[in-house]
Amino acid sequence: MENLQAVDMKERKPKQIFVQGAISPAFIADSIQKHSTRHDIGGHSIFLGQVRADTIEEKPVAAIEYTTYEEMALEKMLEIREAIFSKYDLTCMHVYHSLGKVAAGEICLFVFTSSKHRRMAIDACTELVEKIKFELPVWGKELFEDESYQWKENK
Amino acid sequence: MELQITIFGQLTDITGSSNIRIPAVSNTDELLAALKQQYPALGTAKFVVAVNKKIIQGNTALAANSSIALLPPFSGG
Repeated sequence: MENLQAVDMKERKPKQIFVQGAISPAFIADSIQKHSTRHDIGGHSIFLGQVRADTIEEKPVAAIEYTTYEEMALEKMLEIREAIFSKYDLTCMHVYHSLGKVAAGEICLFVFTSSKHRRMAIDACTELVEKIKFELPVWGKELFEDESYQWKENK
Repeated sequence: MELQITIFGQLTDITGSSNIRIPAVSNTDELLAALKQQYPALGTAKFVVAVNKKIIQGNTALAANSSIALLPPFSGG
């Protein structure tokens, strides 16, 4: 009984999702590679968020600088993770979000779901991305070349 | 006695700092009134209040050790 409780406690612990700076394509490739030993998986779904160089008043966005309320975000992410796992039959789920500066063209969000069949993986990934965008206390500051900035808004 | 409040995102443009202190109040309605007096621009800013890492719904009691944060609309991803 004690052992079971220990396991439960461990699983309830929020998992770190934040990485400093951009998420490298090599990290994403490695993450895919690591799943080759899981022979129960039949489909992966991956969403990659990339920093877009929006032009605002003729100035292109050079980078986005992300900040978070980390303790709250990690607790919220645990809630989201549990909700998604209970709704979809997933083998696994991974989320990585950048903090600090990410240049236009670089990856700032990596969401990865795996399941026996494609539909579960795809639907879970889509819902997960929406929840991350609207429920995680993370803020993006769009930085222009000339050091001016504006705060990003999610649509 | 003072309360410490953590400020995030665009609201730091209003407060000039990500950590502010105000004289102790007993609930979030009083807190918001005091903050808006000190920083009038907060009166028109969009944000929610989190107490102990949960977004509050309605007036909420505060203790000296409550962790209080002002959160503008999220814009991650």
